[in-house]
Amino acid sequence: MEQIKIPGGETVFQERLDNGLAVMVLPRKQFLRTYGVLSVNYGSLDSKFKIPGEGVVEVPPGIAHFLEHKLFEEEEGSVFERFASWGGSVNAFTSYTQTSYLFTTVEHARESLAYLLEFVNAPHLTEENVEKEKGIIEQELQMYADHPDHRIHSALMENLYHEHPVRLDIGGTVESVRSITVAELQRCYDIFYQPGNMALVVVGDLDPYETCELVRSSYPQRQGAGFSAQRIDPQEPNSIVQPWAETQLPISRPRYMLGFKHDPRWRGQELLRTQIAMSLGLKLIFGRSSRAYAQLYEAKLVDDSFYASFRALPRVAYSVFSSETDQPEALHERLAGIINELKGGGVEAGEVERLKKQFYGMFLGSLDSFEYTANRITAQYFEGTPYHRYLEVLGEVTTEDVQGALGDLLDWERSSVSILRPVNAHG
Amino acid sequence: MDFTQHQLGPGVRLYLCETDKFKTLTCKAFIQQDLKAREAASTALVPLLLRRGSQRFPTTRDIARELEELYAADFGSDVLKIGERQILEFHFRMVDPALLPKGEELLRRGLEAFWEIASRPHGNGRFFEPYFEQEKEILLQELEGLVNDKRAYALVRCTALMCGEEPFGIYKYGDPETVRSLANQEVYDHYRKLLNDYPLDIFVVGSRTEQAAEALAGLVQGREAQVVLNAPQRVEAGEPRYFEEAMDVQQAVLVMGYRTQITYPDEDYYALLVANGILGGFAHSKLFINVRERASLAYYVGSSIEGSKGLLTISAGISGDDQAQAVEIIQEQVRDMQEGRISDQELEQTKRGLISSMNSMNDSASALIDRNLIGVVHDELRTIAGVVEAISAVTLEGVVRAMEKVQLDTTYILRSSSQKGAGHGTD
Repeated sequence: MEQIKIPGGETVFQERLDNGLAVMVLPRKQFLRTYGVLSVNYGSLDSKFKIPGEGVVEVPPGIAHFLEHKLFEEEEGSVFERFASWGGSVNAFTSYTQTSYLFTTVEHARESLAYLLEFVNAPHLTEENVEKEKGIIEQELQMYADHPDHRIHSALMENLYHEHPVRLDIGGTVESVRSITVAELQRCYDIFYQPGNMALVVVGDLDPYETCELVRSSYPQRQGAGFSAQRIDPQEPNSIVQPWAETQLPISRPRYMLGFKHDPRWRGQELLRTQIAMSLGLKLIFGRSSRAYAQLYEAKLVDDSFYASFRALPRVAYSVFSSETDQPEALHERLAGIINELKGGGVEAGEVERLKKQFYGMFLGSLDSFEYTANRITAQYFEGTPYHRYLEVLGEVTTEDVQGALGDLLDWERSSVSILRPVNAHG
Repeated sequence: MDFTQHQLGPGVRLYLCETDKFKTLTCKAFIQQDLKAREAASTALVPLLLRRGSQRFPTTRDIARELEELYAADFGSDVLKIGERQILEFHFRMVDPALLPKGEELLRRGLEAFWEIASRPHGNGRFFEPYFEQEKEILLQELEGLVNDKRAYALVRCTALMCGEEPFGIYKYGDPETVRSLANQEVYDHYRKLLNDYPLDIFVVGSRTEQAAEALAGLVQGREAQVVLNAPQRVEAGEPRYFEEAMDVQQAVLVMGYRTQITYPDEDYYALLVANGILGGFAHSKLFINVRERASLAYYVGSSIEGSKGLLTISAGISGDDQAQAVEIIQEQVRDMQEGRISDQELEQTKRGLISSMNSMNDSASALIDRNLIGVVHDELRTIAGVVEAISAVTLEGVVRAMEKVQLDTTYILRSSSQKGAGHGTD
């Protein structure tokens, strides 16, 4: 197995099996818990793709998430109960770009791991169980429809993107979910759930070689020609859809969200570097140590909910700023002023150097979370960002990089604002 | 992993857990008092005021800069409610000093910053007035903002209605009317009393606990008396009550509150813990299987217990149209348990699941500390091994006996007034 040293004195053991599956093991001494996550490089953005010899296929929104729900269905017994019988638990999630199945357990780690591989590789889709799931997913979508954070983000994505599927909810819509058929689910499963398109990460106090051997020997043999689909993203115009939009919801006070749309043009180390530079830059605006935050807070334009984030995936990238506020227009004006001042050369070296210390500490601290670490290792594999070099790259990022990233990416021509306003809650 | 206990002075206990397992050092301090409306509101303001500034770090910005210099040290404060006690919590976390340049020095500096922020707020004989005025507004917004998270809101509403005549009905952050009436001096005086006269328990997990203990002992010395606290009120369930609240929501939230008559010091406490697990603590539990998997009525449904006051709460996100059916299925599950319709498998899986999550706490510094809170309140700390043993010993008869004491008190539903026949779920 290839050994990749990561900061904090740990090592990731990595191997690609003959069937194409990437296996990555992070041993952590003294820990009782084992955490395993099997991920498919397949998420809500993958709704249109080309199959060699077949042409272009387009499927209803929400299908990756629907499949995630259905893989828990077994011909006999229940996946949940199986993990429970070992004292462990199992779960799954779907994002824009990946579907992940995970377990955590203290005992029977080997059985749990083997069974994770087994159930994800054994779909059991019937007319009846697919229909039944629609009621559950509908309630999940309705739950999100009542979440202000979710609603404001969805509305912002619709403002920023004309065509790109990032403008749609990961779970799809009630209508699209209702339209999904067994045949479509099976087809997407067969196309994307190929070992060559998947990665397994295991964290715990275990032997990496034995773990890898267990995966090799127990990974189910599957029919299929391997992974050959080509994902198709629509031509997304540079422009935004609309610069400002408002939605009403039964909440206590307005919420403001500003978004900037970027070209997802970075790969590998460059992507990591941009992520770090941009995250440092945004901290100069929303960080509690920033002058900007102090000004906005004292002017009562933001509260503790104020944050900003930069999200860059290989196929989509954007930045957002958000806060609850009584005065969305006034906040927008002040924030625009702050952003322009920083873009115009306001990034100070001393501030950047101090924030770099903070990022250094946060990285080491994050290693105590198996979930977070495993996710980063998975993302590193699928996206090619060298996570293990994080501290090195952090050390190399300069004030000029931060200045450059802010100037380059916070382009007002490609920005939009989404507002939630309270509607009388008790109606 | 267990803590060693040290008495630092009257009413001050220090608990240390020495380990090099984590990349961080975690420290939490808890001050408890009886839950009363005026004190609750007063105390809820404290965390908001502390983060604004201290004597040495007079602004949020100064605090944040110091924490960043300490490689992402993290200070936080919050207010919790356990039974009929309100707890003021301070927590501090930093990267394991062994992983940092000049670690020993940083550890001392970090703990000094921790106690400085927690105990020496900016102001002269009271809180700095502009901070006080602004944070009072922020707390009011927080209280009004509870409605933004529909599930949390429904749980708080159900509890308030159910325990309206008992201290437990008081929300952990108080109520808006009381907050509005608070004066700076009153809040400050109460805060000083909390620091000096009320029980203080400090927990440290990490690799330099001896040095940490030394530093902390010096910081907290000089406390005087110890206030004697009350035990929670026990109340019999009366005739079941029903409350409905109308709001413009997509999804209805149903909450059913039961009285258990069983608390932490009681013999049947662990039987109740297991009973709750069988009923609704896991994905293999009766509620999940019957409400979600079989009837497709909900995406989330589960139960939890409050082990200090003696409550069991069931909550579910459903379509308002399915209310009657959901209530019926839920009551049937409770009845089944009271009448002993529990399989060996359900009992064993649940015990294993609970034991596994107890053992998993060894893997998280925060969990290791937080699990002791109920023990702190009841003045009886229990080890993980002791709890595991108690859970192992739970029998089917014990579970049934515990469930027989469980009585429905209050049913509450948050729903759209126009749900029936409108929009979704009519076909």
